Amino acid sequence: MRLEKCYFCSSTIYPGHGVQFVRNDCKLFRFCRSKCHAAFKKKRNPRKVKWTKAFRKAAGKELTVDPSFEFEKRRHVPIKYDRQLWKNTGKELRKMADIKEVEKNIHLIRAPNAKAPRLEKKLAQVVKIEEDEDMEET
Amino acid sequence: MGKPQARKKQHKGDRPLKEKYRTKRKTKDLDQIFEDTKPENADKLLKQEVDYDKVGNGQFYCLYCALKRLQMEPYTQAEAERAAGMGSFVAPRKANIPTNLTSEKMDNDEESSMTG
Repeated sequence: MRLEKCYFCSSTIYPGHGVQFVRNDCKLFRFCRSKCHAAFKKKRNPRKVKWTKAFRKAAGKELTVDPSFEFEKRRHVPIKYDRQLWKNTGKELRKMADIKEVEKNIHLIRAPNAKAPRLEKKLAQVVKIEEDEDMEET
Repeated sequence: MGKPQARKKQHKGDRPLKEKYRTKRKTKDLDQIFEDTKPENADKLLKQEVDYDKVGNGQFYCLYCALKRLQMEPYTQAEAERAAGMGSFVAPRKANIPTNLTSEKMDNDEESSMTG
């Protein structure tokens, strides 16, 4: 079973759901529901639509860099049987439970820089006032 | 006779959106425009041989539409997947598109037509 990601909102598409659009240059676009398909047809930019994952990550609303993100990847290459690899996989699978829990609740972790721009502005203003006072004194 | 002309053709543009966004009326997407503007592709598209089967004999290829929206790199499926948690998210970069491609050709055409 292959789980694809929606082109527009990045949600997982399970078998039997959504639609595929094949552009006349053979490029595939998968959509999880008609909402995403319609938005694509209207040429909306997913980075500017607030309910998409792309927006949330680009705007710093969610964690973007984390080792747990390296976990799930697209692997096109079939792997040859190897006893050692098989053993290691078994070991890692036991660790997976913890990682899955983190993945499940990762949206609860606030991105460290979510409010940084505002803070920076505040700090900059404070510094300015101090400078002005210094100027008056001198 | 004697009918007010303004009453005609008042609803000409009132088509359902469905018709507007049909795939048979599909225009180029941003990533296709971005591909076209790459120097190696742009050269080929702007300097095509005269082909009577093509629109305008293939001499007036339009490279630029929606340049304003192409200030950033076009969105891709890869970005969607990174946003979904497959790999770390990489912030979209600025796209630099040469803007003098068409103007050069226009100038050449004008010169040739003036002299010819």
